Amino acid sequence: MWPRPHEPHRAARRVAAERLGERLPPLLVEAERVAASVAPGLHGRRRTGLGETFWQYRPYQPGDDVRSIDWRASARSDRHRFVRENEWEAAQSVWIWCDASPSMAYRGPGVREDKRARAELLALALAVLLIRGGERVALLGSGRRPAGGRFGLERFTADLLEGGGPTDSLPPEVPLPRFARLVLISDFLVEPRALERRVAVHAARGIAGSALALWDPSEVELPFSGRVLFEDPEGRARALVGRVEEVRGRYRALLAAHREELRERLARCRCTLALHRTDQPAASGLLALTRMLDPRAGGRGGGP
Amino acid sequence: MSAWLPLGFAQPWLLLGLLALPAVWWLLRITPPAPMRRPFPPAAILARLASREDTPAHTPLWLLLLRMAILALLVLAASGPVWNPQPLLAGAETVVLVVDDGFETAADWSARLRTLEALLARADREGREAVLVTTAPARAGIRIVRGRPARLRALARELAPRPWPADRRATARALAGLEIGDAEVHWLLSPWTVPGEGAEAVAELAARLRRLGPLTVYRPGGPPPVWLVPPAEPGVPRVRAERAVAGPAATVTAVAFGPEGEGLARVTLAFAEGERVAEAALDLPLEMRNRIARLELAGIPGAASVVLFDERWRRRVVGLFGARAGGEDQPLLSDLHYVARALAPWAEIRRGDLDRLLAGPVSVMVLADVGRLPEAEVARLRTWIERGGVVLRFAGPRLAAGGDALLPVRLRRGERTLGAALTWSRPLAFAPFPEDGPFAGLAVDPQVRVRRQVLAEPSPELAAHTLAALEDGTPVVTGRRLGRGWLLLVHTTANPTWSDLALSRMFLDMLRRVLDLAAGSGGPVRGPLVADRILDGFGRLRPAPAGLAPVEAAARGRRPVGPDFPPGLWRPAGREGAAAVAVNLQDTVRTLLPALPRNADRVRGLVAEVERPLAPWLFAAALLLALVDLAASLRLRGLLPAGTATVVLVLVLSGPSAAGAQPLPDPAVLAAETRFAWVRTGIPEVDRKSEAGLRGLSLILALRTAVEPADPVGVDPARDELALFPLLYWPVPPEHPDLAPGTLERVQRYLDRGGMILFDTGDAGLLLPGESGGGPGERRFRELFGELDLPPLEPVPSDHALTRAFYLLRDFPGRFIGLPLWVDRPRPGVNDGVSSVLIGGHDWAGAWAIDELGEPLFPVVPGGEHQREMARRFGVNLAMYALTGNYKTDQVHVPAILERLGQ
Repeated sequence: MWPRPHEPHRAARRVAAERLGERLPPLLVEAERVAASVAPGLHGRRRTGLGETFWQYRPYQPGDDVRSIDWRASARSDRHRFVRENEWEAAQSVWIWCDASPSMAYRGPGVREDKRARAELLALALAVLLIRGGERVALLGSGRRPAGGRFGLERFTADLLEGGGPTDSLPPEVPLPRFARLVLISDFLVEPRALERRVAVHAARGIAGSALALWDPSEVELPFSGRVLFEDPEGRARALVGRVEEVRGRYRALLAAHREELRERLARCRCTLALHRTDQPAASGLLALTRMLDPRAGGRGGGP
Repeated sequence: MSAWLPLGFAQPWLLLGLLALPAVWWLLRITPPAPMRRPFPPAAILARLASREDTPAHTPLWLLLLRMAILALLVLAASGPVWNPQPLLAGAETVVLVVDDGFETAADWSARLRTLEALLARADREGREAVLVTTAPARAGIRIVRGRPARLRALARELAPRPWPADRRATARALAGLEIGDAEVHWLLSPWTVPGEGAEAVAELAARLRRLGPLTVYRPGGPPPVWLVPPAEPGVPRVRAERAVAGPAATVTAVAFGPEGEGLARVTLAFAEGERVAEAALDLPLEMRNRIARLELAGIPGAASVVLFDERWRRRVVGLFGARAGGEDQPLLSDLHYVARALAPWAEIRRGDLDRLLAGPVSVMVLADVGRLPEAEVARLRTWIERGGVVLRFAGPRLAAGGDALLPVRLRRGERTLGAALTWSRPLAFAPFPEDGPFAGLAVDPQVRVRRQVLAEPSPELAAHTLAALEDGTPVVTGRRLGRGWLLLVHTTANPTWSDLALSRMFLDMLRRVLDLAAGSGGPVRGPLVADRILDGFGRLRPAPAGLAPVEAAARGRRPVGPDFPPGLWRPAGREGAAAVAVNLQDTVRTLLPALPRNADRVRGLVAEVERPLAPWLFAAALLLALVDLAASLRLRGLLPAGTATVVLVLVLSGPSAAGAQPLPDPAVLAAETRFAWVRTGIPEVDRKSEAGLRGLSLILALRTAVEPADPVGVDPARDELALFPLLYWPVPPEHPDLAPGTLERVQRYLDRGGMILFDTGDAGLLLPGESGGGPGERRFRELFGELDLPPLEPVPSDHALTRAFYLLRDFPGRFIGLPLWVDRPRPGVNDGVSSVLIGGHDWAGAWAIDELGEPLFPVVPGGEHQREMARRFGVNLAMYALTGNYKTDQVHVPAILERLGQ
């Protein structure tokens, strides 16, 4: 088995992720829905509610809590007593799933990073961006509630890098609160139908998803030649190819078909798909992710 | 053993293994090579493809062929192939090997040895016992060694031809006592015999050998033996070679060498078709002739191809002086005519008055019937004799009338007449010569009669001075040593008037003996001789082995050479410094007769080439190919990157050759110490000599001067950085290879920037005496370096810094002398006025060269060790000049500077 590249220190990896995140503007996730269950966050909902930012004064009505009367504003008026209302603020909660299956540990010839490392980097960078934007982030499958702030980032980093989570190649079927956002980072070298089934569960709860398919260049190009026995690291399949160069074209067509099927099936589950190769700069992967999460960010993000 | 290839197999049936090759081919074809295993996450996608993609993966054809080649090589190697197989042995338990190793076998000795080696190797392989017999006697007799072939092989490698003839009769006698059961006999024959042995001896030995077992005779295929005939006359006017039987036209080259091994002359002897004898005149001045110490046939090894010379061949100058010397109109009555005619082949004759004769280099002075010499001349002659001259006087009427003081004995006045009309006595013949006189051993011609003679005054010591007497005891030749010379008197005339002596052969012999008395020859050689250096079977002079018994000098020319009397240089016992006496094989062996035994069971030729087992080579090739196969397999399976595979292959394939080239060490290492460099010519012996020479010079420098150079290095001027070396030694032998392109520019740059090169053509060793340039090395130098931009050259001027850089030198000898050393004229302002190129031909490296123990490797001629010392001094000066430039020239101005300071 090919050795994994040097595992950077955890803190160092977070620094790398933060540095990557710095190069993009704070990510603002479009909150499509407002739901009561969503904890108050930094995004004004353009209506009154529980929040910390002043929204409007309105005349006191019977039934209002006396404590909500803004005496200073009321003193300036001779007729009314005003109640101070704040804007209802709600934070989006984003659930990030990072594939930890053995197939992610693959690194093709001439590539510096394996898929796993790249996926973790992207997940972490995304988390940094989101938390800086005030969102709450949780690692799907870690069993924790989403959290924001410095503490949330610490926890997310710990969950992501310390592992111990599920190593399934499919996102886990954890019930998520409604209107959360789901981010899936994986190579998606699975049966598209099985993936659709998992994602559909979340979609049914109104959760939109973004999927980033992360592939090693050799997985895309099939640059090998000669007689090769290909073995799936997860032990699901073996393929003995007599002359790899002869099947290269057909393999690429099959891979393209797989991709299209993925895209199609994910779209049915309100999930968009972007592609990223590990030989591309990580920033382009992060950009793809932010674009999917916040279509408005597309123009501003800029390339790395 | 096939008819069209000299190839045989020890186990031919193993070749049947080759039949299995097609089956292996088939097996290899259907067994694909192990695939390369590769983890690949999208394997599932590929699996969909692979199920459809079911083309069987074949081993690539080239790999298949490679493996078949390996297999075929292994099968071939296992079957024990032998190149040049020799169908040598029959089936007997004991193999008797008889090797003729007489002197005539030296020419084809290597073939003889190869045959012997092949026979022993075969006997060794087959586990026989062997008996090795050499037919030329050693000192302990005929050598018969019996033992395991492996032991005899070591012995056989030490065998060498003997410088004396074989003795087949003694061999047959020695074999008579040999008890051998089941034997086969192989006789490496020399089909020649000396007259003393005769063809019967050969036949006798053959018969004896056949009684031991079936006899196979190996006869050489080369031309008949050729030998040099020692010239009869001194001075070697003609060179003569003979061959055993007449044959087609052929030429041989005879080379004459001086006492120091220097080549003096070279003459080509052409055997006409059908002729046994070839002769040619040797065109050399007398002084050169007298230097000849050795004559040999070039390229034909053997004791018979060499003639050693001693004093007998020195041509001496004889001065003739007689009262009636001018009687040219009646030569037969002249006193000196007979002497002159008798001595002409042996000596240079000069005539004239005493003054003129004594002024030149004369060894023997003949005075015929000179009566009374003036006192002054007697005194002059006496001192001349005391310094080593020989005076031979003949009697005659004038001497009878009254002699002077220059006589060995006192004479009675008048003469004695024998057998005249009025006397009773008859003319008398000579009595046998006394054994201790200079004429000892000469045969007395009974027909020589003395009719008249002068008589010596009887005295007690007369007998001691009598060198020859008549039958009645009357002294007829008397002599006396004076100082280092001799005074001799023949009591009769030098012409036939008083006796027949002058008409006889005995007269010639006696005159020659008188010549032997002359200075330098040390007188006639008498008493025991001890071996000084002896010839080996190949005609090289070797130190004499210990324990050779002294041999009476008189045996020379009569006793056949043999183990107890080997040819070579012998020295009179107990007389240090006495001239050596040459004993040649040809003194007693004058011809060879063909002798081929008729009763051999089989006759074969000598083995042209040794049989060589090929199995090791085939195994090595198979191993090499297996390595290639391994690398290729690894490569196919992806376990070896392409680059590594190529590197491994290149290393494997080029291993031996890569080891041969020695790249220079790191320049930083080289530059850390002062060292000199020599230029690699690619000719191994030249390079070895250069290396040893510069090592020797470095040692001398370290011992004598403050310069302690590091080990010299060999450089390739086309490739290596020259700027690291203050001095390059560049030998330019005639066979120097062409320069690589660009070399000349590099050399030019090196010279322009202050480098110094000593070009050594080594011509002085190739030129004949008298030539002073235009040698082959010089011509080659012109071809190679003609385009080098050199300033004008001049012979080293006497005030050049080279002559005083360390030692004061006048000339610059190397291993040889005689050529000028050319140097570029220093140009003011260029290189600080230091010459950059020195060109000469004295083979300096040869003089400097030392071996590992510090001993000189090459002799230095003609000056010996003194000249070597001078060559070393030149080397020291050269190194100093290279290192300090014109520093010593500055010293020239010291007096002027001091003078100025004083003011």
